[in-house]
Amino acid sequence: MQLKSTDASHPDAGPSKAAIPFLEIRDVQKSFGGVRALKGVSFAIEPGQIYHLMGENGCGKSTLIKILSGAQPADDGELLIDGKPVGKLTPVAALAAGIETVYQDLSLLPNLSVAENVGLTQQLVASAGKLARRLDLGKMRQTAERALTAVNLPTDRLFLSTRTDELPIATRQLVAIARAIASDARLVIMDEPTTALTKREVDNLIGVVDRLRAKGVAVLFVTHKLDECKSIGGRAVIMRDGLKVAECDVADHSKTELAFWMTGKVLDEARYRDEPAFGTNLLSVETLSRRGAFTDISFSLRRGEIIGITGLLDSGRNELALAMAGVIPADTGRIRLDAADVTPKVPAQAIAAGIGYVPEDRLSEGLFLEKSIQDNIVMPVLDRLRNAFGIVDGRRSRELAERTIADLQVATPDVANRVQSLSGGNQQRVLIGRWLTINPQLLILHGPTVGVDVGSKDTIFRIIQRLADEGMGVVIISDDLPELLQNCDRIMVMCKGSVVETFEAEGLAEETLYRALVQETTARTGQ
Amino acid sequence: MTDLTSTATAPAGKPSAAGIWHWLLRHPPVFTLIMIVLVCLVVGMINPDFWQVANLFDILRASTVRGLFALGVLVVLASGGIDVSFTAIAAFVMYSITMLVTNWMPDMSMPVILLLAAAGGAGFGALNGLLVHSLRAPSLIVTIGTQYVIRSFLLTFVGTALFMNIPVSMESFGKMALFTHHSASGTISVLPASVLVLLVAAVATWWILQRTLIGRGVYAVGGSPGIAERLGYNLRVVHVFVFAYAGLLAGIAGIMHVSSNRLANPFDLAGTELEIIAAVVLGGARITGGSGSVIGTMLGVVLITLVSNVLILVGIPSTWQLAIVGVFIVMAGTVFSLRPRR
Repeated sequence: MQLKSTDASHPDAGPSKAAIPFLEIRDVQKSFGGVRALKGVSFAIEPGQIYHLMGENGCGKSTLIKILSGAQPADDGELLIDGKPVGKLTPVAALAAGIETVYQDLSLLPNLSVAENVGLTQQLVASAGKLARRLDLGKMRQTAERALTAVNLPTDRLFLSTRTDELPIATRQLVAIARAIASDARLVIMDEPTTALTKREVDNLIGVVDRLRAKGVAVLFVTHKLDECKSIGGRAVIMRDGLKVAECDVADHSKTELAFWMTGKVLDEARYRDEPAFGTNLLSVETLSRRGAFTDISFSLRRGEIIGITGLLDSGRNELALAMAGVIPADTGRIRLDAADVTPKVPAQAIAAGIGYVPEDRLSEGLFLEKSIQDNIVMPVLDRLRNAFGIVDGRRSRELAERTIADLQVATPDVANRVQSLSGGNQQRVLIGRWLTINPQLLILHGPTVGVDVGSKDTIFRIIQRLADEGMGVVIISDDLPELLQNCDRIMVMCKGSVVETFEAEGLAEETLYRALVQETTARTGQ
Repeated sequence: MTDLTSTATAPAGKPSAAGIWHWLLRHPPVFTLIMIVLVCLVVGMINPDFWQVANLFDILRASTVRGLFALGVLVVLASGGIDVSFTAIAAFVMYSITMLVTNWMPDMSMPVILLLAAAGGAGFGALNGLLVHSLRAPSLIVTIGTQYVIRSFLLTFVGTALFMNIPVSMESFGKMALFTHHSASGTISVLPASVLVLLVAAVATWWILQRTLIGRGVYAVGGSPGIAERLGYNLRVVHVFVFAYAGLLAGIAGIMHVSSNRLANPFDLAGTELEIIAAVVLGGARITGGSGSVIGTMLGVVLITLVSNVLILVGIPSTWQLAIVGVFIVMAGTVFSLRPRR
């Protein structure tokens, strides 16, 4: 995604005049069980500077921010605030020092109001974590109003008293940031803050970050989105396998270089698609409609072809994907596979017809996190694995699961391990593997690389290409434009529930595709 | 920026049917109140005898012990836990203290007895809280366990014989009248002073939940323990506090029970746990934690008491009471589950 920061030429402040850094860590180490998550990491954070902590899943960056925010103690190493060593950093002590963390899940209390979410922490910090204290309602409201104003949110009574689980996701993100700056923050850590945001919301977030920086607050982004990192600017701290492998000014290095440090591999942004061979027509979607979501969607797909569908969050792309998978069926229209009408009303019908659907949110819609990799993989084909007594055959299940993970290069010693124990990219491969067990004719991938690091992306793209080469029809629904450009034969752009443009992906510039998305936005807001 | 918050700030202005419905869904105690009014109107229409001060006093009297229990359950539910051991704690405390006072310290005054009961109950509760926290076990399981242990301990080691003559201070407290009403027909009805204890407990609980950091911490932990911990709330303090508070109220409720019945029976109170939890849920608290209010809880208790006390007035056999309470609970559960979620 191409992003332009609100401030076109980000002045790269660089390390400030040899002042004492706000925060410094020296040779920090941390192990979990036998696994060394951090093998001695050192770096410093200057006031008013922007940092990007980058690395693949499992490189130790999550562990590092947990240590910085006091959520977990380091095993070894030094932590200095304003040049003074800090012994034990508890969550409350970190907050008191001005280190605020906006976690990826935002960590808003869903059942409390906006005012409480934003204003309570400050009083908790003031009481040093002691709970037997009176609550100062007036002060809480004042704190909340000041912080909400700083992030351009309203401060009326109604908004202050709204439960945070009733807010849209982008507003929640800003509420979480408001909480972070409510007490005098000196460092705001943001863990992948843009995952759930649209481009306009990301722009707004960058505006907020700029203002923070202007006030001398340091901001540490934890991310693996190279594009955003490039457009925001600042310094990059790159980690791999528990070690800091590089620290540099983002502006001085190309995305390819940054990706190389993160993965240890050379990854270019070339197209994965080469010499596609199309077979006969496989899928025909005919005037598919669902009230309030999408209207008259028609397209077809040949065997061996990959089609991408993109659009903004409210374009109907998600609903279309769900309708094709039978999760939320369409009202009218038909879906044909090889001329047979298979329009699914429930997911089981889609599965029976040979449609595999890999959902967007693998954690809540896709995987049974507590179950083993094997259980997750064989789930749709238990029928096929029955033995003479009607009981699922353990040996054959295991064989199937082992074959699948070998095929998809899932890194795990044992298929009996819980899916939870895998990294995001490996989880995604397990999920894709599950749907391959039904030998689908059509595979629908909804956001196939959301929350997946660069290296795993590469593997997943190669798998997608191989499946298409083997004659499967593939639909990718995604808002990651480079991903679509790298993998698809055609790309459909949706807006307000209709297909507004279909591109041949070969040779298509990202700008063109992006403009097709944005143009529609301007046209729409203009009405 | 305003567009980001449109979903939150859009309704307002003129009230519409949908707007009122939404408002109601956000204020579950209003439903409880509507059900109470409906029950009163229906019963009063069929049997005008219902409209008597004596009836009101009866309902308030019968609500006292339930209400004290319910306030404790509310605090535990709000923190995302559940407690079913409070009746056992109450039984243990009331019986042991009655025995202690009768046999060894017959002159002990009522305030001291109440303090002792509160401390004893809080002690048992704190044990619950420590177990729940340190074992990281579901509180339902832990409190089922402690309920059995406490009850068995009471019957095995303390005693099983009934105390027909309770200590003087307790008996006179039970007889103490806050208000005496002489009806036209000459019957005398009394509003017992124990109602004041419930009132004080309700105000204290409201204050703790709404006006202190620990109160907000209780809701925070009920909303999401993981997030609350990350934000700096001390989970151990919250867990121990909610169960100790429930135990404290249970201890006081036990003494109220003895003094108003003028009898200490170690087999009493057992089996009423679900009824109390139902009352709290009828008052709008979610069984999954993070919500619930004192006013709703009090209304839920009144509703349950009302149904169990007055249906007999309109000729509905007492065996039917449970069915009606059951229907109310299912109705409340359905309505409250319609509350807007993310």
